[in-house]
This record gives sequence, structure tokens and C-alpha cells, in this order.
Amino acid sequence: MKFDNIIIGGGLSGLTCGIKLAEQGKKCAIVSSGQSAIHFFSGSFDLLGQINGEEVYHPIEAMKSLADTHPYQRIGIENIARLAEEAPNLLNRAGLKFCGKADQNHFVLTPMGIMKPTWLTLDDFNRFDGKESFPWKKAVILNFSGFLDFHTLFIKDGLKKLDVNAQIKNVSMKQFEAIRKNPSEMRSTNIAKVFDKGDALNEFADKVNLLSEGFEVAILPAVFGLFNKKVADDIKAKINKPVVLLPAIPPSVPGIRSQILLSQRFQELGGIFFMGDNVEEGTFENKRLLDIRTNNHGDIKLEADAFILASGSFYSKGIVATHDKLYEPIFGLDIDGDTDRSQWHDEKFFNDQPYMHYGIKTDSNFHAIMNGQAVENLYVAGSGLGGANALKEGSGAGISLLSSLHVVDQILK
Amino acid sequence: MNKNKSKEYDVIIIGGGATGAGTARDCAMRGLSVLLVERHDFATGATGRNHGLLHSGARYAVTDHESAKECIEENMILRRIANHCVEENNGLFLTLPEDDIAFQSQFVDACTSAGIGTEIIDPDLARRIEPSVNPNLIGAVKVPDGSVDPFRLTMSNALDAKLNGAELLTQHEVTGVIREQDRVVGVELINHNNKEKVKHYGKIVVNAGGIWGHHIANLAGVNINMFPAKGSLLIFGHRVNKMVLNRCRKPANADILVPGDTICLIGTTSEHIPYDQIDNMYVSKDDVDVLIREGVKLSPSLATTRILRAYAGVRPLVAADDDPTGRNISRGIVLLDHQKRDGLSGFITITGGKLMTYRLMAEEATDLICQKLAVEKKCETADIPLPGSEQSELSMENATQKIYEGLSIAQKSAQDRHGSLAYKASNGGENDDSLVCECEGVSIGEVKYAINELHVNNLIDLRRRTRVGMGTCQGELCACRAAGLLCDSLEEAGKAKDDLANFLQERWKGMSPIAWGDTINEAQFTSWIYEGIYGLKADNN
Amino acid sequence: MKKEIFEPFNISDNNFEQCVKCTVCTVYCPVLEVNPEYPGPKQSGPDGERLRLKDPGFYDEALKLCLNCKRCEIACPHGVKIGDIIQMARIKHSKKKPKFRDMILANTDIVGTMASTFAPVVNPMVALKPVRRIMDGVLKIDHHRIFPKYSGIRFETWYRRYAAKKQMDFKKHVSYFHGCYVNYNFPQQGKDLIKIMNAAGYGVHLLEKEKCCGVALISNGLIKQATKQAKHNVEAFKKSIVDKKMPVISTSSTCIFTIRDEYPHLLGVENEEIRDESELATRFLFRLVDSGKLKLVFKKDYKKRIAYHTPCHMEKLGWSIYSTSLLRMIPGVDFVSLESRCCGIAGTYGFKKENYETSQAVGKPLFDQIDSSDVDFVATDCETCKWQIEMSTSRTVQHPISILAEALDVEATMKLWQNEMALEGQC
Repeated sequence: MKFDNIIIGGGLSGLTCGIKLAEQGKKCAIVSSGQSAIHFFSGSFDLLGQINGEEVYHPIEAMKSLADTHPYQRIGIENIARLAEEAPNLLNRAGLKFCGKADQNHFVLTPMGIMKPTWLTLDDFNRFDGKESFPWKKAVILNFSGFLDFHTLFIKDGLKKLDVNAQIKNVSMKQFEAIRKNPSEMRSTNIAKVFDKGDALNEFADKVNLLSEGFEVAILPAVFGLFNKKVADDIKAKINKPVVLLPAIPPSVPGIRSQILLSQRFQELGGIFFMGDNVEEGTFENKRLLDIRTNNHGDIKLEADAFILASGSFYSKGIVATHDKLYEPIFGLDIDGDTDRSQWHDEKFFNDQPYMHYGIKTDSNFHAIMNGQAVENLYVAGSGLGGANALKEGSGAGISLLSSLHVVDQILK
Repeated sequence: MNKNKSKEYDVIIIGGGATGAGTARDCAMRGLSVLLVERHDFATGATGRNHGLLHSGARYAVTDHESAKECIEENMILRRIANHCVEENNGLFLTLPEDDIAFQSQFVDACTSAGIGTEIIDPDLARRIEPSVNPNLIGAVKVPDGSVDPFRLTMSNALDAKLNGAELLTQHEVTGVIREQDRVVGVELINHNNKEKVKHYGKIVVNAGGIWGHHIANLAGVNINMFPAKGSLLIFGHRVNKMVLNRCRKPANADILVPGDTICLIGTTSEHIPYDQIDNMYVSKDDVDVLIREGVKLSPSLATTRILRAYAGVRPLVAADDDPTGRNISRGIVLLDHQKRDGLSGFITITGGKLMTYRLMAEEATDLICQKLAVEKKCETADIPLPGSEQSELSMENATQKIYEGLSIAQKSAQDRHGSLAYKASNGGENDDSLVCECEGVSIGEVKYAINELHVNNLIDLRRRTRVGMGTCQGELCACRAAGLLCDSLEEAGKAKDDLANFLQERWKGMSPIAWGDTINEAQFTSWIYEGIYGLKADNN
Repeated sequence: MKKEIFEPFNISDNNFEQCVKCTVCTVYCPVLEVNPEYPGPKQSGPDGERLRLKDPGFYDEALKLCLNCKRCEIACPHGVKIGDIIQMARIKHSKKKPKFRDMILANTDIVGTMASTFAPVVNPMVALKPVRRIMDGVLKIDHHRIFPKYSGIRFETWYRRYAAKKQMDFKKHVSYFHGCYVNYNFPQQGKDLIKIMNAAGYGVHLLEKEKCCGVALISNGLIKQATKQAKHNVEAFKKSIVDKKMPVISTSSTCIFTIRDEYPHLLGVENEEIRDESELATRFLFRLVDSGKLKLVFKKDYKKRIAYHTPCHMEKLGWSIYSTSLLRMIPGVDFVSLESRCCGIAGTYGFKKENYETSQAVGKPLFDQIDSSDVDFVATDCETCKWQIEMSTSRTVQHPISILAEALDVEATMKLWQNEMALEGQC
């Protein structure tokens, strides 16, 4: 099977590459081993939130002090602003409404009631201008009876620090009885599915309106609109008070919805999405990757002019660690990481973990390197690049989005 | 400082491990008024950090006859009185091609003379009854080993002590021993919960502090030479073997693979560590490599079985000679009457021994106490079942038969953990059967029961009582849920966040020595959720 | 760095240890959505397996609610074989004995042979409402279910009488695993397959003796019989593939999936020697066309608007692209892609009275999609999906092979490769 481009990995990075290429008329395929980490997405994409423990308010400005090996520096700070404008536009065209500015972080409330700086936030969630600027003083936190994954007491405590008085109330409805009785299935996605069906929304809104009388704002878990986006819009319309949605324990309902929309957009543009398939190996010749072989397609190889490896980090097995080595499991590409496993981690869980920085070696044009030599038509994008602890500095989505857009620019040249 | 002169206990027991809890039970059952004080939580010392092996004693038959004899006797007793803490799955002593097959007959003879029932079985049969065993084995001997959950065992003893009138104070650390000339009359404590200092008075103070007994003895003004010997162990993600697997040779490193509840574990090593390291133990890379290497010899599938965590414990050995590994020190029971030994009355130390013989240690200590207090009551701890193990028509056969019909996962798991007290986990609200910990099947009801009745102060305590966070996710999903429930009952939310952070750090301590493969994936995922999405920090206030 | 292949060797062949508890599988399980009695793939699969290893008493009979649609496996980012774990657990631990009804539903060879022999009597009877009510009451086969009609003449019989001789005229050959549906109910599909393969220059042959693939036997707990049939089939495949160098193709996605994957995973029947050369007819044809070895010429007057439904087994195999690519090659076809969803029947599952509601609820979103799409008919590779869609929607269903057979300009196609061969002969 022949394509213009094949992308390995169907997460944020892979889909961004695929959509941009497909928008430019390229015939693309994405091969993904399963559903991606977008399923755990909080609702916000970070560009740069922290440097050396200090919060960042102006990411593009702050980026200049990052190390040369950081993906942003490698993309080129001069390109960041343009790419950071391109990203939300691409997402918007896919039906994902994100708002935010690259040169000025806004804040979102986490499920622990903490204010975190971020770049783009999905319109399900509220954006705040500053850490202290929660505009209400009296809040009611509403949870579903028996839903353990929404931490009302932590939110209440966090709001107290923001000088907000919050009360907790529970909502019980017969439509949720069945899943509540199932010991393991009272989860955000199952609640969302009940709302998707349509017959619970009005009743729920009525109850919320009743319980939020006397309060300025209602805080709810983000369990609306899994396969049906309209539910997310309707819930805010039907409730009389301002509504603040907060994420619950993953899987994330807005995350899954986003993944589906991105995947649909890719396929509508003519892209082929091979879901639940693994790439086993590739055929290389003269510093080029000619084709790849996957588990499902076996001897029917997938050929392309250019390939993008967007297989992520350890979690998605883009990089594998055994007790005595690190390796890239598909092609055996060179890895940037310590060979001594005792160097991989820090004893303190909340400290900067060295393994989070590891990635696949690439040259200045993001070509993957194998046995010291660059592969001309194999690029690496996303968290597989390493070069930063994206978690600590709040840059995961930014690196995924911007490196993907940039890599596609290299291919289109 | 609070002066609590109004109450004088008969016995104050320092230490909430198996020995302390067992002694509290025995004393309370004999009608003494008991106060047990523990600086952290039940079973946080060597009790909570060993193999969980219900020793048949076979391991010591050749090198330490006395120990072996004690073991098998207590083994049989524990099966009776603590059957909900025990799995009677038997064990095999394997002879591998590189071992000396001649040792087997010496081994069997020694077991027989110690009263340990053995059966030499054909390697073929061994492969059939235990498919995970190293297929190259050349010899196998079946012994009455088993597994025991030390947390459950200790808690049951503590509960029984309480039922018989004892008072239990966890989070209370001894900062001083109160003496009146040559007599110990009480202890000074600090309450870690609220930083308050308090004093309690008792006729006899029992030092059951394990390796920390060295320090406690010093506080009383006497000296005991204790020998901290660190041992490391690895826990695997699931049960690989049904029976306990041992090497049929003189005891050495990493030669026991014990199944227990949902996991199995391999141990152990032995390394002399300086006294000031006993509260700060990490498992080294070498330890991990040795454990895996030797473990694979017992069961080859361990080579790629997921490892959940690594942990280390310190043996409370009383020094007798200069053996650098501590392995050949007799693990016999050490009961010190400080009146006779040091001229200090009202103070005794009970230490040494092993988890298996805790009840015997408690009996000996309590006998001495009763003698000193002129109380003439016989020990009944070997006859009366522990709370959770009471089943009237209990025979060896139906002890292992658990009736699961019609029970949910959480109810079945609770029954395994709490025995006949499991009904308390399904006692209350309508949400009680919902799972907090999906890996281990722990319901809201069980968590609430533990919080309300089992002395739970924080998530780590909760984990010991209920296994929350002991499954493959190591707290990734359940820690937050459990924290929410704890917050509800106990703590302020601010404290709960720090508790959650501590819990994650404690889990990480066990994961970092084996941070590769699925563990590193799990760790990355856990970090993303708690730090990334939630914004949790090491210090949240 | 040299490429390493990490082969985990674990106690379980279905790698439940790799589960990192992300719970994504539960999002995509179609049963959980409609039936909250089901514990869900995570609890039934990796979580449950760990507990069952501790004590088999943890097995929950509710696992029988699993459709085995494999959508959890497709979604899993770590490749945990959740569906297999659940099926293996059912095979190992279930204490429920198969009922007489299950044996009837599962023994397609026996029932098929008898029913097709007496087809003129069986067909009208089984279609009668009162008869279906009796089956519902006595056997608990839901009365809504309409049994596919049995053919008076079996495919194998027809083949031997009318098609066998002609197949020797061709230079290249394949074997055809026809399956129970083609044999007992719908031999036309087999005829269509022969038509296309002949047009492509291949002679089509039967296997020495083919037995039912056994998928229904497996899901109904009749493991011994399933294993026996599996071993027999693997031997028959070997004779074709290894001895005669003839690959085996099939038109049933369920049969080929069972033979390739379920045989080794669930029955422990080894099939490495034959797996790579056992595939769907559409994949076989696609490979020829994609590599330029074959060009299909279609009739200019074949104009249809077709929606393609992806059967769950096709989704797992990842092979629907072959069927859809071939259909898209037909110039007169207006192709509509349906969202990939389970139709709910899951083989014999949906016939059972106790599952009927779940079955229909699972398939409803698909039915709504089909009903609201303005198509001439639906295309799909799985026969039970076909029954379900025809029963539950207003559309009929055709197999891609049958569609190709109808749309193909046989003469023109044959001319192309005959010319090629002639040219080759000249060089």
C-alpha cells in the first residue's frame, strides 16, 4: 500500500502531523497501537508553564532561556510564535475550540483546587486571567452520588485558599443507579454516556438549578459530551448560574471527545487510520526508509516517501527500558539517555526524573539517527524527542503540537 | 507536659509489631491492664518487611535444630488460630543441577528429628503440581510451608487485645523511659499527630521494639548489642507459583519464593548495616540483580514477570559473635529480664526470634510478666482463635475452603483479608460495594471499616489494613479515591493532600529500584495524573 | 544500536501484566454501555486475572456477557489481549455446562447437514411465528431472531457437480475455505467467489475435508469438540498450503479470524505453518491489484450507493481496508463509510433469549446510522452481521465478493491477463 506519508503513532503529535499533511493534499496513513494519551487530557494544552520551579507568565519570552537541546530551541524561537498561532487554528478546523495566547499564559483550576498557568484551554473549561482572579465568592460543588473520582473536598480546600467559600452537595438520579451499583464502573465516561443518550440532561439541570440557589457559581465534574458534543454546550445553557467544569480522574471525557474529533478530521481529509496495529520493522536502503511492516498487514508493506515517528515516550512504548538497557523498539534508532539504569530516576517522586528527558536522537532537521547516521526521510516529532522534562515545565502539548507542525514544514519543503 | 498519674497500667508494651501485639493480646487475655504504644503504625518494622512465610522450619532444620522445632510447632498453631491470615499452600525444597543432591537426605533427616513432616517427590510430579518450577530440577521435597499476611496477623492480635480491654496508641513514640532509681515506672511519649507530649505509667514496661529496642534500652539506661542485618526483597505483580519454593541447600541469598494473596515475592539478602541507617533503607541495584538472578533459578518465568516493588527490612538480631553476615546467628528468642541482668526492675526486653514464633515469644514474655506480678493465669493464645478466624467446626480441610457463592469481588476480597469480620465491610451505606482499589478489590465499605475501627491515620496505614495501593497500579487510581474518603472521615483537606503526596512518595520508594519496563510506564502515567493534571506537589500547604 | 525485539515470557500468554490501568478499554466496550451487569473489560480481564490466579473462586459468571468483539484490545495502548484473557477465563473456570440449546446453535455442521437435507420443510417451518415462539419458550432462542434459510443443495455438492472440473484449466490455484454459511445457507456466495477468482486467473479448490471453524463451539464452552475440529482443519490447511503450495482463502471474516488467531490463543492449537497463507479473499485480491499483477475491469452500467459495515473481527484484523479499497475501485459505486461499531449479534450470542436485549441495544447506533443513510444496500464480510443488519434495519446486505462478482466485467478482466501471458510467452 502506497502513501505519500506514514505517521507512526496516533496521539496528539501523530494526528497533528496527519491533519496538516492531509490539509495540504497529501495521502496519509497513521498507524496506532491503541488509543492515545489524549484520553487523559486535562482540557488544557501547555506551552511553557515553569522554568526552574518558577512560574512562567510569558512563554515565548521565557523560552529564550531554555537550553539549546530543548525542542523549542531546536525548532527555533523565531518560528515559535508563528507555529503557536497555527496550532489552535488547525485544532479549530477540526472542531476543537481552544482559546489562549502564546505570549501570555492564562490560568485554569485543577481538580485539587490549584491554579495552574497554561496556553490553550478547551472551551468546556474556564480561563482565568490570574492566579487570584476567581471571580466568585460563594460556590457550590456538585458531585454525583457514589462518584469517587471527583474530589470535592480537595477542591473546596483549594478554593478556600483563593478566599472562596464553597459547599459540597450530591446529586442522585435513577438514570445513574445502574452504573452506580456496578462496583467498578461509576466512572466519568459511563456518566457521560448516560447524558449522551439524552434523557438525563434536563432533569439534571433542574436539580442543579435547585441546589445552586443562593450560590454564585456551580462547580461540576467534566463528564459532559463524550460522543455527543452538543451535551457539553447544552449543560451550560440549561443551568442558570455560571458553570465551572473541573476534570475528574482519567479517562477524560473532553479528552476522548477531542481524540475522536481529531481522528474524524484526519479521515474526512482522506487520511487512513490503522487503529490497533503495531509497526514491527522497516526496510532501510541508502539512508532511507522504504517501507514498514505491521502486525496486521504482514507481507503487504506500507510504503511512503516520508515517515514520521510520533510514538511518544515510555508510556506509549516509544522508548522501552529493560533492566539493563534503553531502546527504541520499532527500528532500533539511537537513544539519548543514560546506559546506567541507576541514573534513570531520582529517589524523590516529585523531583525532576532524569528518564523524562530521554528521547530518540535526531539531527538538526529532526531526522531520526540510526547507528550514528541520519535517516533522510524518517522524522521524529512529539514527546519522543526528549530534551526536556515536559511534565515539570508544563510543555508537553506545546512540544507535541509545535514539533509536529515544524516537522511537517520540513517535509513539505 | 501531661502528668497522667491517675492510671497505672499493669503492662506498657513498646512496639506494635507482631511481638508487641501478640504480647498485648496474651496479657490482656490473662486479665492484665495493657497499654500498647507504637511510634508509627502496626507492623511497620521487621514484621511488615519480611517474606510473609509461614515457616515449616525446614529451612533451619540442618543448621539450627531448636529454631526449626519451634517453627513447626507454631506453624501448626497459627493454622488453627489465625487461619484467615494464613494460606496453607505447602512448599517445595528444590535441588537444582548445581546443588548437592546428597544434601537432600541430610535435610530430610534433620526435618524429621525436628518434627517437620516431609515427603520426597519425583521431579516429574513436582513439575505437575507446581508448573512454574524450574524444569531442570533434580530433586524435590514437600514440606508444610505456607504464607502468612503479617499485617493481618498483627492487626488481629491487636484487635483481640483491644477486645480484652487493652488500649492501643499508634503514632506515639517513646522519647524517654521514666525511672525511679532502679525501677522503671513508665514512659514519656510524643504524639506525632498533634506533637503533644504525654506520660504513661505502668508496673512493667516491655521493650518489644525490634531492632529499635536497642535505642529504647539505652533510654532506660541499659545496653543490648543488637545487630542490624538488612534484607532486601522483590514483589512480583502476580502469583507465579502456588506453593512456596525453596532451595534445598544451606540457607543463602534469595532462595525463597513465597506466594501471598495476589502476588509472590522473592527474598532475601543479608547485609550488615550501621545502626544509624535502620530508618533509611534503600534497595541497591546489586540487591535487585541478585534477587532476580537467584529467583529465576527457582522459577524461570520470573525473568520477565513484572516486578511491582522492592523493599528492605532489618532483622532484630542480638549479637552473639562476630559473624559479618548475621546469617548464622541463632534466630532464637531472646527474653531479657533486666532485673536479673542489669539490676533494673520493671523492665523486660523480648526480641530476636522470627515472625513465625511471635506467639511463643509473647507467651514467654507474658509468663515472665505474670510471674513478676504474681498473677496465676495460663496462656490460652494457642487455643483461642484470633478475631476473624473464628469458625467453629474448623478442620484442616475446610479451613482452606472459602465459600464465594453470590459474593461480589469486593466481598470476596474482604473475606480473604478479614475472615469472619468481613461483614463489617458491607455494613453501611448504599455505595459501600463500589471499588476504591480495583486491582485488589477493596470497596468503600472496607475502607470505611478500616478507618473507623482499625486505627488508620493516613493512607499508608490504610494500605496495610486493606491492600489499597498494593496492586499493579501502586496507587495510581486508588490513592486519590482513598484520600477523598480519608478526608471525609479524618483529616483536613490540606493534610490529606500532603498525605497523598507522602503515599505516592512511599510507593515510589519501592518502585524506583526496579524502575524499568512496565514500572516506568506506570510511574510516568502516575506523574502525569497527579502532577500534571491535578497539580499535586511534595508540599501542598 | 542494533534493533532488539523484546519478547516477554510471562505466566499468561495474554500479557495481562502489561496493563497500566488506564481504563481506556472500558470506554470502548459496547456491552458496558448497555448492560451494567457486565463488570467491564478491565475488571473481567487484567484485574480479574490477577485475582483468579490467587483463587479461581474469583471467577464471575457475568463474564459470559462479553461479546468477544475485541474492541477493548484494539483500544488498549499496551496491547493487552483483554478479549483473549476473558475467553480463556471462561474456558478455564466457568462451571456452567452448555445447554442443549447452545449445542444446537454451536453445532453448525450437524444442524446444517440435517437442515439443508430437509430444507424445503425446515425453511418455512422455522420462519413461522408459532414455531419461533416454541423455540423461544422451550429452547430460549429469542423469537425475534429469523434463521437464515437453508439451501436445498449444499455448496460442496454443487461444486463437485458443476465447478470442480473447470478449475483445472487455470495455471494458478487457491483453496477455498467456504465455511458453514456458504455451504448450508448461501452457496451463491461461493459461486461468486469462484467467478472472481477464475476471472483473475486462479482455479479454486476445496480443502480435502473442511469442518466448521468452531467459533460457536468455543464461545459456548464446547472446547473439546472445538479443539478436535481445529486440529482437523489445520491439517487440511497444511495439505493445501505446505504440500500443494496452494494458499487458502475464505469469504468469512469470522472463520478466518478464528483459524488464524483463536486457534492458537484459546485452544492452544499451533498454526504457524499455515497462518500467513490463510487469508480473506479480499486481501488476496488486493495484494494482486496493489502490486500491479492484476487489473479488475468493471461494468460501466453498475451504479450503486453502498455503505460498508466493519465487522468486529475485521476491525481487529485491520483488514477492512482491503474490502473497502476493492469496492472503491468500482467506478459506479458511491461509497459511504459507516462509523465502525459492533452490530451486537456476536454470533450465537444474540440468538439467546437472555442476551437479545443487550444485543439489540449494542447495535442500535449502527442500525440508526444505516437506516438514515440513503444507500441501496450495505456491504460487509461477516454473515452474522448480515443477518443482524437485515433483521434490524430496512436495508439488505451483500458480501463484497458478491458485489465484485456482479460488477465485474469478467471477459475484459480475463483478456488483460491473457494478453499479458501471451506477451510473456512471446518474449
